[in-house]
Amino acid sequence: MTDREIDEALEKAARVPHEIPAELLTGIGGAIKPSLRPVRLLPPSWVLTAGLVVISAAVAFIGAARVGLQGVNTLGYSACVLILSSLLILMWLAAEKVVSSWIPGSRNRMSAAALLVVVSIALLSVFGLVFDDYRTTHFAAAGLACLRAGLLQAVVAAVLALVLVRRGLAVNPASAGLVAGVLAGLAGVTMLELQCTNFQALHVLFWHALVVPVSAAAGAVTGWLLARLRNN
Amino acid sequence: MDRGSNFEALMVRYQAGDFVAATTLIERVSPQLHRFFGMQPGSRADADDLLQEAWLRIHRARHTYRPGEPVLPWIYAIARRVRVDHYRRSMRRTVHEQHLEDLSEAATKIPYTGCVQTDDLEELLAPLSESQREIIEMLKVAGMSLEEVARATSSSVGSVKQKVHRAYKKLRQRVSLSGLKKRPSRALP
Repeated sequence: MTDREIDEALEKAARVPHEIPAELLTGIGGAIKPSLRPVRLLPPSWVLTAGLVVISAAVAFIGAARVGLQGVNTLGYSACVLILSSLLILMWLAAEKVVSSWIPGSRNRMSAAALLVVVSIALLSVFGLVFDDYRTTHFAAAGLACLRAGLLQAVVAAVLALVLVRRGLAVNPASAGLVAGVLAGLAGVTMLELQCTNFQALHVLFWHALVVPVSAAAGAVTGWLLARLRNN
Repeated sequence: MDRGSNFEALMVRYQAGDFVAATTLIERVSPQLHRFFGMQPGSRADADDLLQEAWLRIHRARHTYRPGEPVLPWIYAIARRVRVDHYRRSMRRTVHEQHLEDLSEAATKIPYTGCVQTDDLEELLAPLSESQREIIEMLKVAGMSLEEVARATSSSVGSVKQKVHRAYKKLRQRVSLSGLKKRPSRALP
């Protein structure tokens, strides 16, 4: 049996009319009629994407500015440009994915898990290039403080991002939560890069980069829980 | 005007509050959506309820459709969510919980005649897993393109192609394993 024969069999079977009760369609029409009015469409995707990037960058900058921008002031110019431009590109990538996950039927260039992997690898690569001090002092204590600060910033960024995309519809809440978590995590990392003066490679490679997967996991769990609550 | 652009024009008028366009769209898309719900073992018995639920969700989310984009992937993406929610609700209700994978396995155990001439799409797709059946249904019944199926299922075109390939392989294997001859009286046109 060839694929062509399967195609023909499927097409033949699909041509068999599928009748549904007329009263069912009438009932659906009647149910939507009372609330049928012109709707305000969502802004274009690029506007939403740009909005998410601005929110994430602003949250990171304001968060860092509150305690001082020592990190960026101490780092060299080229290192600053490399780190911040990379973070901005990754934010745009994540923001595009957030927008597509909140609009049903959007084109899907990359899965949520793939985005997390790409972002994490990119961050580790950039940090690996810039930081070369492999001494470790107060690894856990200093790291946990940075992780906590980054995640707190991520929560703020995630809440504001959700306000922007609230009119959308996430058809896969866990995946949408994961992607929102990645974007929020990037806001947290950006804040850390702007204010943290601990340039030890292992500190940055482990604790700063860890903000993104932890934030993504929290986002996925939150999305899953919200969907479950809504579904009950 | 082809079917796709016709649906898009109806959807745009629906967004503008045109009741005639809304009911026309419902009448034209509902048969294939009903079939979509009816073909899945987890939702077969509740296809009527799911169709209503899907249209109510589509109605509430109609502002998320972007004019110029294909309508069917947008509708099917919402319909898939309705089916998943229904499946999860029903799983919670049942005493003996069964995972989605088990359900797919159970679907493969439905007796299959192995005769490609059958007109019953449900029977024809019975050997396939739930995700494979869903994709074949969108491609062959709803007449969506690979790109549109990818949009509806939030996956890549490559992943859709792979699932189609596996589905066809499974169908071929089933037919050859069954050892049944094609019915000459119902030969393909």
